[in-house]
Amino acid sequence: MKRWWLRPLVRFVAALVLPVAVPFLCVLLLWALPGDPASIICPPESCSGTEELARRWNLDAGPGHYFWSWISGVAQGEWGNSWRLMTGMGVRALVEESVPNTLMLLGLAFIPVVVGSLVAALELVNERVDPALQVIGAVPGILLALLAAAWQTLTFGPDGERMAGLLLGAAVLGLADGVFSGAVLGTRSLFGSERRQRYVGVAVLRGERIIENTLPNVAPAFIGQLRARGVQLLSGAVVIEVVLRIDGVGDLLWQATLVQDFGLVMPVVTAFALFSSALLLVQAVAEIGVALLVRRSPRVPLGGAA
Amino acid sequence: MSGRWPAAAVALVCALALMVLVVAAPEHLSAIDQGRAAQGALQMPPFGADGRGRPRWEYAAQGASVVALPALAAGLLVSAFSVLGGVVRAMGLERVDPMIQAAGEIVGALPRMVVILVVALVLPREWRGLMPLALTWALLSAPGAMDEAAAVAERLGGARFVEALRAHGYSAPRIFLVHIVGYNLRPVLVRQGAEVMSQVVFLEIALSYLAASRQDPSFTHSDSLVSWADILYLGYQALAFREPYGHAVVLGLGLLALVTVFASAVGRAARAR
Repeated sequence: MKRWWLRPLVRFVAALVLPVAVPFLCVLLLWALPGDPASIICPPESCSGTEELARRWNLDAGPGHYFWSWISGVAQGEWGNSWRLMTGMGVRALVEESVPNTLMLLGLAFIPVVVGSLVAALELVNERVDPALQVIGAVPGILLALLAAAWQTLTFGPDGERMAGLLLGAAVLGLADGVFSGAVLGTRSLFGSERRQRYVGVAVLRGERIIENTLPNVAPAFIGQLRARGVQLLSGAVVIEVVLRIDGVGDLLWQATLVQDFGLVMPVVTAFALFSSALLLVQAVAEIGVALLVRRSPRVPLGGAA
Repeated sequence: MSGRWPAAAVALVCALALMVLVVAAPEHLSAIDQGRAAQGALQMPPFGADGRGRPRWEYAAQGASVVALPALAAGLLVSAFSVLGGVVRAMGLERVDPMIQAAGEIVGALPRMVVILVVALVLPREWRGLMPLALTWALLSAPGAMDEAAAVAERLGGARFVEALRAHGYSAPRIFLVHIVGYNLRPVLVRQGAEVMSQVVFLEIALSYLAASRQDPSFTHSDSLVSWADILYLGYQALAFREPYGHAVVLGLGLLALVTVFASAVGRAARAR
């Protein structure tokens, strides 16, 4: 590809746009559906004073006005208040309290993914374990989470224990829904197909190590796989946090959705978009780094000396 | 021996079992009968009773009826998108292809469960159900499926493959429907469709379980229905609080295994020879 910088640039731009685009799309979606937004959030048959609530929630002047006032508030550090879950409470405090737990959960869950990928890249995973990996990968997260929650209740009582919950959650998140097995099998397949390339055989004949030759070429795809696992972990975190009672942003999103607290959902969704943006940025930076490294290699003169 | 026929037989058996459950699903659960509360599978065959004496098979059947149509619709939608991805690559549409890839990058960057919850939040109450969520899930899965189908079309030779068949005098429907979709994309379409079907079932279970565990109404079905998540919740109570619902664990695991085996067997049966 001649313009090697195009793909990282697209990721970079997407990373910048995503935290604004995602809440904007949420607002558009709310207005695009039939019925006015206030009636969706608070149906007149079960909720009195819908018009007054629409004014209070800033839903009475269209999607543009709502989004602009929300985003300008966020830019000034004013994230608004919870509409229903904890009525009147500032959502910034709720989100800031939850983010560290989610980050810790994701960080711990990423450990088996990275270890599995590295082990697979170094060709230390025998094909005989594939059936076991496929079985582990087929187990849905909700089932493992349920078993983990039952064990947690039996061991630590109904209130659980924070660190145990985090470790269990990370183990479930990292193993279930094909996250771990996908990382191992995907990485092995990636490196395996590259290893069969002719230049690798030549490098081996020259006495060079395989991984040193294959890594620069597969690195972008490898990083892309890791990012995909990261997004998968983000998605799975919602279920794991609720089942294992981890006070993270996923749990907050679930509770806010149940009570239709749009004021709280907006910043939580933005937090998830920021996580995704961070992953996109990491991938873009890694791709640029790899591309520069590859281009730094000495060029072989074509056609010999004149 | 590719193992396609045994896989097809397994898929057929699983599909029949699921269809029997859907067809047998009662509109309402049986009346409460405390005299039969928490009876085991031997006392009240085939799956025992819940804490109010209602047969557990009704849970399994109603749960199957909740997921059947939305899962099927989501599977078909993803397969349709796969066809589109493969055909666009085979036709060599140079302007459309990058746009699809860019859209795929953006959609792929979004955590699916977060999008599902946002959709569940903004849906009007009268629209609530599994179908819109299942279709959303299918849309979120579509870029990956299109990408895989496009890669298959690329390996075929893309536009050159189509040109070669045209040179042989084949008509456009025969080239695209028979050779590209039928012979070459079929394994991808069927596997992706089956995988998304099983994912929609697990999505329903997850959403309903989260609601049931906090005694909240589910996004995916009306309060008068029960889903497989209710069986798993009884199973959780049996495991965590030693309540007498041990057979619910077995039934819940069996239903999950049925769906997983079905998806896996369908994918294996549709593999290329």
